[in-house]
This record gives sequence, C-alpha cells and structure tokens, in this order.
Amino acid sequence: MNRPIRRALRRDPYQLIRLGVWSVAETAPALIIGLAIARAIDEGFAAGRPGTGFAWLAVLAGAWLVAAAGARQVVLAVASIVEPFREDLLGHVVESTLNRSAVSGRGPDTAAVARSNLQVELARDAFASVITVVRSFVFTVVSVVLGLTALIPQVLVLVLPPFVVGLGLFLLSLPALARRQRAFLLADERTAQAVTAVTGGLRDIAACVAGDRVAARVGRQVTEQAGAGRSLARVTALRTLSLAVGGWLPVLLVLAGTPWLLRQGAGAGVILGALAYITQSLAPALGNLVEGLGISGVRLRVSLGRILRSDDPARPAAGRDAARDAGVRLRGVTFAYGPHAEPVISDLDLSVPDGDHIAVVGPSGIGKSTLAALVTGVLRPDAGRILVGGVPADRLDPAHRVLIPQEAYVFRGSLMENLTYLAPASRDAVEEAVTAVGLTAVVERLGGYSAEIRSGLLSPGERQLVALARAYLTPARLVILDEATCHLDPVAEARAEEAFARRDGTLLVIAHRLTSALRARRILVMDGTSVRLGGHAEMLAASPLYADLVGHWNPTDTQELVP
Amino acid sequence: MRTADRLVLQTVRRGGPWLGVLALTSVAGSVAELALPAVLGRTVDSLVAAEPASGAWLGVCAAIVVVAVVCDTLGVWGAGAGGAQVSAWLRHRILRHVLGVGPAMTRRFPEGDLVTRIGVNAEEAGRAPEAIVTGAALVIPTAGSIVALSLIDFWLTLTLVAGLTLIALVLRAFFHATTSIAGGYQEAQGDIAARLVDALAGARTIAAAGTAAQEKSRVLTALPRLRAHAMDMWRANARAGVQAGAVVPLLEVAVLGVGGLRLAAGDLTVGELYSAARYAVLGAGLGAALSYVNRLTRARAAAGRVVELIGESPRTYGGQSLGPGPGTLELRGVAADGLGDVDLVVPGGCAVAVVGRSGSGKSLLAALAGRLVDPPRGTVRLDGVPLPALSPEALRRAVGYAFERPVLVGDTVADAIGLGLDRPAPEAVRAAARAACADTFVRRLPLGYDTPLEEAPMSGGERQRIGLARAFAHGERLLILDDATSSLDTVTERQVSGALAGELRGRTRLIVAHRVATAAAADRVIWLDGGRVRAYDRHRVLWDDPGYRAVFQVDAP
Repeated sequence: MNRPIRRALRRDPYQLIRLGVWSVAETAPALIIGLAIARAIDEGFAAGRPGTGFAWLAVLAGAWLVAAAGARQVVLAVASIVEPFREDLLGHVVESTLNRSAVSGRGPDTAAVARSNLQVELARDAFASVITVVRSFVFTVVSVVLGLTALIPQVLVLVLPPFVVGLGLFLLSLPALARRQRAFLLADERTAQAVTAVTGGLRDIAACVAGDRVAARVGRQVTEQAGAGRSLARVTALRTLSLAVGGWLPVLLVLAGTPWLLRQGAGAGVILGALAYITQSLAPALGNLVEGLGISGVRLRVSLGRILRSDDPARPAAGRDAARDAGVRLRGVTFAYGPHAEPVISDLDLSVPDGDHIAVVGPSGIGKSTLAALVTGVLRPDAGRILVGGVPADRLDPAHRVLIPQEAYVFRGSLMENLTYLAPASRDAVEEAVTAVGLTAVVERLGGYSAEIRSGLLSPGERQLVALARAYLTPARLVILDEATCHLDPVAEARAEEAFARRDGTLLVIAHRLTSALRARRILVMDGTSVRLGGHAEMLAASPLYADLVGHWNPTDTQELVP
Repeated sequence: MRTADRLVLQTVRRGGPWLGVLALTSVAGSVAELALPAVLGRTVDSLVAAEPASGAWLGVCAAIVVVAVVCDTLGVWGAGAGGAQVSAWLRHRILRHVLGVGPAMTRRFPEGDLVTRIGVNAEEAGRAPEAIVTGAALVIPTAGSIVALSLIDFWLTLTLVAGLTLIALVLRAFFHATTSIAGGYQEAQGDIAARLVDALAGARTIAAAGTAAQEKSRVLTALPRLRAHAMDMWRANARAGVQAGAVVPLLEVAVLGVGGLRLAAGDLTVGELYSAARYAVLGAGLGAALSYVNRLTRARAAAGRVVELIGESPRTYGGQSLGPGPGTLELRGVAADGLGDVDLVVPGGCAVAVVGRSGSGKSLLAALAGRLVDPPRGTVRLDGVPLPALSPEALRRAVGYAFERPVLVGDTVADAIGLGLDRPAPEAVRAAARAACADTFVRRLPLGYDTPLEEAPMSGGERQRIGLARAFAHGERLLILDDATSSLDTVTERQVSGALAGELRGRTRLIVAHRVATAAAADRVIWLDGGRVRAYDRHRVLWDDPGYRAVFQVDAP
C-alpha cells in the first residue's frame, strides 16, 4: 500500500533537495524570531538605541519575506511530488478498472468511475498535506532548537522536556485517533451512498410501498454515522490535551524559570524572545502536525486502500503461443463465477474442427457469452481444458483469434485508427473489408477514413459494422461473433455474417436471431440443463427448446426485428 | 426564509446539552484567551522587576492556561458531538419525509439536486448551531484585542485594520483566478473519465485482443493537460497563501516597531510590548470571526433548501385491508395532467394491454392504477376499496409494479426482490425469480441470491428480470408492467409471457406494451390516444381500425 508513496518520493531526488532547501528558507522566522525580538529590545529599544532595535526588526521582517518566497517554492516542490503521485494512482485506477470489467465482461457504471476519480483527488490532497505538515514540523523544531541555543541554551531544559512529552502523548493517541477518523470517514461515505441510492430509487420504493422500511434501514446508517462522529469528537478532544502539554507547559515553565534565567544573564528581551519561539513557532508546528497526521494521514490511508484494492485482478498475461490451426476443443470444461455460485458451464465437451461454422442458440444469461470468453482465454475454466489449434486458450497469441462482443467498441479517433485497431492494414485491404461487411455507406456519410469518430456519433448498428470490419481485417482464423450483429437489420446481418462465413477459418456465431442458426453448418443449443450440437434437422428432433423456437419463429413478424 | 430560521432554531434546540457545553466553554475560553496576553505581559514585568507578587501572577497565568485548555478540550468535544447529533436528527427527518412523499419529490427536484439537499445541505444546516455559538464567542477575543490594542496605542489599531483590508483583497483576487483555472482542470478530468467509460464499454473487445496497455495510454491522453492545469492551481494557491500568510507577521513586526519606540520613550513596559504584539495577532483573527458569519449565512441558506423539501406533503394511507376478491380494478372519472377522464373496469384475473403512441399517457395510466401516483380527480378501486383507503401493508401485498428501467434497492439480490416485504420466505423470492426467468442467472452469481447488488453488475435485460421478479413477489392481486420486457431477448420474453399466462394467470395484469404479440395475447386492450381512452376492446376487434394498426408501426424503424 505504501508503494505509490515510496515511488513518489524516490522518483525525482532533485525535487526532494529543492523541497529541503526552500524549507530552510520557509522556516527562517522560526530560527530568527526570538533572537531578533530579544536583541531589538535588550540592545535596541530598552537600551535607548532605537536604531539598533529597528535594525533587528528589519532582520525579522526580512526573514518573514524570505519565508514567504520559500513557502511559495515549497508549495510548488510539493506539487511536483504529488502530481506524478496522482498520475501513478490514476494509471492504476484505469488499469484495474479495465482488467476488472474485462473479467466480469461488463463495465462498472459512470458513477463508479467518478467515485474512483474522487478518491484519487482526495489521496493527492491528503498526501500533499501530510508532506507539508511533517516536513514543516521537522524543520521548525530544528530551527527553534538552534534559535533557543543561540539565545540562551539553558532555556532548552525548560522547553524541550514538556514538548517531547506532548509529542509523545500525541503519537501514543494517534492509532486510536486514526481508527476513529477512519470509522467516521467510512460511515460518512456509506451514508452518502445510501442516500444517493434512495434518491435514485424513489419511484421503485414507492411502488413497493417500502418507504418505512428503507427509511429504517438508511436511518440505521445515519445513526451509526452519528455514533462514529461522537466517538471521533471524544478522541479529538483528548488530542487537544497533548497540544496543551506540548505547547503551553513550556510557556509556564519559562515564566517560572525567569528568575533563574535572569540570574544567568538574560535580559527581559531574552524572556520575550523565548516566549516568541514557543508561541509563534513551536506550538503552531505541533498543532499543524496533530491536525495533519490525524486527519490527512488517515484520509490518505483510506483513499489509498480504496484505490489499491487487494482484490484487483492480476493483469492477464498476454499469450504468445501460435496455433496449429483454428480448431477448438473443449474437454470436461466447468466454469462458475465464484466458489458459491452454480456453474454456468459444467463438464462441457465440444469439438469444432478447423473451418467449421457453428451457431450457438439459447436464452440470454444461459452462458453463451461465458463460453465465448472461455474460448478466447479471457476466463479460465475451473476444470477441464480448452485448446485452440492445440494451444491452451489462455496461452494463445491474441492475433490468432478475434472476438466481437455485442457492445461494439468505438473510441475517439479517426475512422482509420478504429478500423486498424487490431492489425495494421493497407488501404486496399480496408476497402475490401468495408465492402464485405457493408460499411461503405457509413464511410461515405462520415466523409472518408480520416473522419474523427466517437461512440456517440454513430448509431449502435454503425458501431457494430465498424467492429465487424475491424475484425475482418485481422489475420485471425478463429472468429467469434457474440451477438455482434444484434443492432443490424436482418439483411445487413446476413451480409456481414456471410462475409465472415466466406472468410478462411473457423466461425463461431452466438446467435441473436434464429436466422443466424439457419446459416450455420451446425447448431449448438444451450438450454440451461444440457448442451447439444448438431445440424438443423437433427436439432429439431433432439432439442425441444430449438423446435419450440423454430416453430414460433415467423420471418414475416416485424417484431422479431426489433429486439 | 422565516421557516428556514425556524429550522435553524430547531437544530439549536436539538443540539441539547452539548450546545450548552459548547456555548459555556466557548465564552469562557474566549475570555481566557483575551486575558492571557495582558496577564502574561504583566507577569513578565513582575518577574523582571522581581516584585514579591510575581509568584501570584505566575499562578494567575497557570490558572488561565488551564481554563483555556479545559474549555478548548470540552468545546471540541461539544462541537463534534453536538454537530453529529443535530445532523443525524435532520437527516432522519428529511429521509422519512422524502420517502413519505415518494416519486413526487423527483418531479419537483431533479435527482442530483435532491441528493445535494439531503446530503450536503442537511450537513451544512446541522452546523448552524456550532457556527452561531463559535462565531459569537470568537468576537470576544478578536474585538477585545482591537480594543486592548487601541488602549495601548491607537495607531497600532489603524495599522491592523489596513492590513486586514489587504488580506481581504488578496483573497478576493485568488477566488477570481481559481474559477477559470478550475474550468480547464475539470475539462481535462472529464476527458479522462469519458475515455475510460468508452473503454469500459469495450472491455470485452480489449480483453480478448490483449490491448489493455494500449488502452491505458489512450485513456490517459489528457494527463499532461491535467498536470499543467493542476500546476497552475498550485501556483495560484501558493501565491495567495503566501501573500496572506506574510501579512499578519509583518503587521506584528510593525506593531513591535511602534511599540519599541514607546518603550524607548519609557511609556511602555517590556510586558506591555509583548501584549501589544500578541493582540495584533489575535485581532488579525477578525477575518476568521467574519468567516463564521459567512458560515452561518451558508447554514441558513442550506436550511432554506432543506425546508423546501419538508414543505412537500407526504402521502397518507388508510387502515383498511382487502377482503377476498378476484382483483377487480375500477377507474372512475380519473383525470390527471396528461390524461383525460378514464372510466373503465378491468375484471379480476384479466390481462389487459395498454397501447398507444409515445406520449399518449400509458405510463401515467399505469402509475394511477396502482397508486404510484394519486389522481387529482376521480377514484381508483381495487375489489371495491379505494386505493388511498388501503393500509401500506395491504397495498404492498396487493399491487406489484415492474418498469422498463427498474432501480434495484437493497443490500443483496434477494433484498431487492423482496423490497419492503416483511421477511419474505426465500422460497417465495425464488419462485418469483423463476417466473421472471431470473433464477438461473441469479444462482450463477458469486453468492447466488445473497450476492450484494454492487457486486452483481447486470445488463439491462437482467435488471428488468429482477424488476419483474420484484413485481411478482409483491402484486398478489394486481400486476402492472410498464414496458417491463423491452430489453429481454425473444426466448426470455416468450418464457416470461408464458409465466404471465400460466402460473400468474389468477392475478389481474395491466401491461403497457409496444409489441403486437403482447396486445394480441391480452384479454382486452386499452388504446390510449392523446391522453384519452380511444377504445377498450379486444385486439381482434380493434385490429380492423387502421389507426390502431398504425400504433404498432411507429415503433418499427
């Protein structure tokens, strides 16, 4: 979990040096303030030499100006450390969301994307605040100790012990404080999410007359959050005690020790100087540390924990093995989406010789897309083996197979970039593919291959045609169309499917309409209890589901065209 | 705004003893804070002069420090605990109210606005008591400091006021600068999010093609732009923070200079000089005190937005339950905005299709028939009982609604199906899911019916099936399906239709539909046209009317 932090700190040592140098400038007043005040009074104003007094005050003012310049550079140096840190996290979010939705086959909603972006922002701000506070604390304490030593070293005996005790008390209370702060943050997020869910579901809650129950359920969360808030307040209150010990006790001890200090040769100005060191530098630095670590530190941990979830799927290793041919063999394949889930596919045997054309038929949710994901190696079976051209499906070089899912992927870029996304191709090859799948009219409408396109600019059917032409252009000999033509009209669908049937290699079509089955050489029917494979006539006899579908399927019923 | 003030007052009362603690400690702490510089200065003088009273002064110092620390500690506790209590009270109240009013709420306030009002605004309003007390108490040390400073030397006060004005100007300039930078920053962020959403839609293509690394850099195209804007923001931040941060110390130095001259002249003691410097710093905190006024204004505005929510009147229920009956639905003289006089009876156990072009009032009729919405005029009866007379329990068990885009509410899939039901039997939930063709895919989820909703991403068709299951689990007498099978594939739709015509046959069914097949399969059809019932008859009879046939052709591309 601390890896991104370590990476951020090690990335650019120059920034750390810059941060250190300007921190010295920023804490110049912490070094000079007491000394300047003491000398201004003792050697200047009180000694009847206002000129000397003003000179020392000018030194102090100068130190504040230097500090101002330093503070500015410190902010910029911190920014140069936390911005790459944010980019690192953002990259991780992008990568893990992509991987996760590749495994589940579906993308999370836009709201989830927005939530993880927010966490990245929060983590960056918290990290910046932690760096700023911890660094400022260290430099200030060193400066104050040096300043006090220059002023009158004896005073350290009065200042340092209570300060160290206060700091120790805070560090001791930090784990408990962090726990409460974390519990509060989590409760707060849960309540916010519950409120959002309720607001979005008002109609549905009313339709179930479930207002009372939902109010009670969300109400429990609200009560829980209030409880977390109360216990956080209690611990925060105790925290102020450590500030009192570390910040105020030195002041009282210096006052109590004043007669002794005066005997050691200190003037009245020296006493004021020592007080200035404590109240203007030491106490605020401790206060900032307490605030910064107690709140931002916890925020950083929580956000990082969110972003770097432990259940992140490992990035699927790209296979590199070449297939002998485009035949597919499944032996005893079983797959379930979790150890407690019912298997989607159990003990499936299937043999598809090179060059075959198969249509898969069955109601949605029966496991057709899961089968496609298994054959493409995106999912791994719990038991059994899947071989494509003699190579295990997950070790196959992706160039040897292509899957076109129902939701065609079109990204922001030129039409040509979109078409040659999977494999580079010559202009002639592109023209041929465009003609073959029936994309010509769309190319003309858009105004050529250099047209910039994005998802919203094309209709779902046009997006599917782009994805089909893109797949047609690849050298892959195993093609899997997973309802890849569902938004096309039957004529366009037939044209595209026939283009792929004429193409060299194996074709696996997960059928959206029954017409796809009629075009295939063999039909695989999945009905939830069994999987059967055979020709049309054979399946009519063997599968009641298939017979039922064919019997009720009427090619003239326009409703069939509008799923 | 008067009601908003009343709500603020209520929050003050709801804070209970915590607020008393906060008020007491704030005032006592402020007085201690104000007294401390003077007493410290006096103590230093007394110690330097080796007065016999110096011990006593030291004791006074210690006592004031202890008071300040104790007040601070209790104040932090009181503010936190009281704030939590007040916010929770407000949230509970708003939630109950919003849920009581129901979907009428979303008609008046857009969803995002509603979330803000319940979430952020309720919290801001909950902070009103703290803002009042702390803000009022903060006036003591800041205003007091300025008075104390004036007593020492009037010119010091003038210097201070000039400095404060300078800070205000700096902060104002900062706020102008950030809004324009923030715009570019948000645009770059939006670009990354949009590309990520695009890529997620193509997740399966990307996974199968092994192009995830390529996609990552495509999504992050705007990263350099994002960094440039972010650095601009940091720079603006640094400038403003530094300018504002340097002003107070420089003010203090100025005060020390002027005070030093008076010291040299013998008009001021060393201790008084110390006090003057501290008062200058404390007095500069006036800006912070003013920000509490600002916070109170915000809390008051937030309370106003919350009050608007509470202003809506929640719907009421009767106490009647349903006697035995077939589920006869009766609409008498029902009219609403967008729907004319509807007068019809759906005999118990019948399946009735509602058809019409878009905008003809189909969904409104569906909403009125099961009391999702109360009609402004007319009555809707189920087995002779007017719907508003039914108890929530009776209505919940009698009517089931399924929608085109159901929103699933609950912790798990089973919760979502049995929403609102009193501990529904797992078997009943499963039977409903089976009828909606959802059982198979639910059992294949990682934890089956106990899979948390957020871990069960569903396609539109799957969500529709859960929505259907929920309706089947609820509506024992009347099922209202508002375009609830539009995302199902042909096979599944046929299976759901089979269940509706089979095991669910005894229930009265009102089905808003676009497909001819659905209308043809229904016992009767309500044909809506421009917010009026054009006909209520059998499909076969209506089919002769070309106008009726045209209803179905509109939807074909």
